[in-house]
Amino acid sequence: MTVRERFPLLNSFLDGWSIFKQSLLGRIGLVLLILFALMAVCSYIPPLIDPMYNPMTGVDPAITCCTPPGMRHWLGTDFMGRDILSQLLAGARVAFMVGISAAVMSIVLGVAIGMTAGYMGRFIDTLLMRLADMIMVMPTLLVVLILAAVFGQLNIWTIVLIIALFRWPGVSRIIRGQTLSLKQRPFIEAAKVAGASHSRIIFQHIMPNVLPLAFLFMTFRVTSAIITEAALAFLGFGDPGTVSWGMMLQWVWKTGHMFKAPYWLLPPGICISLITLSFYMLGRAMDEVLDPRLRKEDQTD
Amino acid sequence: MELRKYIGRRLVQVVIIFFVILTVLFLLFRLAPGDPVSRMVDPDMTPEDAHRLKVELGLDKPLGIQYLVYLKNFFTGHFGYSFHYGEPVVNIIWSRLPNTVLLFTTSIILSALVGVFLGKIASWHKGKKTDSILTIGALVTHTLFLPWLALIMIWLFSYKFGWFPITGMISEDVWLDPDSGFIAKSLDVMYHMVLPLSTLFLIHFGAYLLIMRSSMLETLKEDYILTARAKGLEEKVIRDHHAAPNAALPVVTSVGLSLAFSINGGALTETVFTWPGIGRELVFSVSQNDYPLAQASFLLIAAVVLVSNVVVDVLYAYLDPRIRY
Repeated sequence: MTVRERFPLLNSFLDGWSIFKQSLLGRIGLVLLILFALMAVCSYIPPLIDPMYNPMTGVDPAITCCTPPGMRHWLGTDFMGRDILSQLLAGARVAFMVGISAAVMSIVLGVAIGMTAGYMGRFIDTLLMRLADMIMVMPTLLVVLILAAVFGQLNIWTIVLIIALFRWPGVSRIIRGQTLSLKQRPFIEAAKVAGASHSRIIFQHIMPNVLPLAFLFMTFRVTSAIITEAALAFLGFGDPGTVSWGMMLQWVWKTGHMFKAPYWLLPPGICISLITLSFYMLGRAMDEVLDPRLRKEDQTD
Repeated sequence: MELRKYIGRRLVQVVIIFFVILTVLFLLFRLAPGDPVSRMVDPDMTPEDAHRLKVELGLDKPLGIQYLVYLKNFFTGHFGYSFHYGEPVVNIIWSRLPNTVLLFTTSIILSALVGVFLGKIASWHKGKKTDSILTIGALVTHTLFLPWLALIMIWLFSYKFGWFPITGMISEDVWLDPDSGFIAKSLDVMYHMVLPLSTLFLIHFGAYLLIMRSSMLETLKEDYILTARAKGLEEKVIRDHHAAPNAALPVVTSVGLSLAFSINGGALTETVFTWPGIGRELVFSVSQNDYPLAQASFLLIAAVVLVSNVVVDVLYAYLDPRIRY
């Protein structure tokens, strides 16, 4: 027995990887993401070198306004003399933190609700799906705004939580559809006859079959969470204690430096756009892995 | 007949959803920590005025009565007074609505039309250079961060080149001049609209292009396309008259599904370009703690989203006779 045969999960992962490798978009996306991950990891370095490189509180005593890139500050400084490169690196950390935690939460919610709705059917199904419809049409950014109006300043984890609470319906609809078709399969019938409980059927028999699809959706959820947080910070409703890319843009915009300091305006926007693009490309490549129809289409040409 | 029934059912759904939103908003504003009175009554008002408003809004009564008063006020168009403007909220939001609708619908229609057209071209040249350029271009523009793109547009076209106004929707000298007629005024608004419209267009057309492209590729595999080819029809006729209309249907659905996303984008665009629309008013009122205005703007936006969703669904049902709900 080879290693591959002994671990079916590893086997399917390797199969998927060999298909994924062929996709140019997927490769580019993955390389970009690894670069961003490196940025996030490196974000811990600058403050260790000198306290003036601290993205939030570090101020270069020799500088009083924003300065263009130079030897001391590779990407220049902002209006308070804070190092833009260290802010950019810290922004990568925040983006991953926000994106991945919001995505995981919304996927867990979406999968749980989708499977419940699909499996239970009837009243619960109708109720959950109407709820999904309702939440789906709500513009998340504006919902967070109105909540900020009522509750005042939101911290970063509250923002993540709200994003997750409003981004599950898309996933749950797809998972519900999958569950509905799985429910008709003989192996579920067999499990029922054998006396398996509802929760056992849902978690042991249905969940493994819908998880790959949920995983695909996660890449898209990551981007939408990053964008929502960035937009919120840009509008001035972000967590004032975090340095995110959206926050950097807000500082450029609000302090009126956008015309004078392109070296400050460009990097955060490029980073947000590129990280979105890379997750998007990753998602499309994973789509090809999971949907054999797309694959065949590409192979015949 | 079927269609009419379907529309009716969707409208009932919309009304129910709207009621839920209305109720949730009521509970949020009354039950959140802090003083609910301070959220509805301008802190700068004289005590007598404040008391009169409190009675009008039912803030001195139990929660159940307050809810009924809230509903009654909603249906009679009483949203209270904006703290910032000192005017009835309803006047403010009604004056902003047309501006938002103008910018929003123009951008959606324009980007959908161009997206469908380019998606058709991309699918027709599948695997060739044209296709790669269009697809990659669409991916890149679609993932640009909207507020940043807006800032770059202003930086480039207003500041560097000086071609377009930096902000606003009208030039005062044109609108205050009694001699300028309707055409001059419309041209002025269009001139101000170029940058916000291009920003929204650049962000949105890519999504429609990608959907149209993949939908076209699916459609081209259908039997009726083979039949059309077998009949010896010209390729152009097959593409434009047989495949494209069917392939465009998913684009209609995606317009509906992406409405919430577009509304977010609209609010951001309005804010950066200081376009006097509802989205900007919502952002502004939240930053000013102008609760009555924030609440009313949010409700109006929610209503716009819900109604547009129904419009899109009905359009879809009308365009595709195979679909009946």
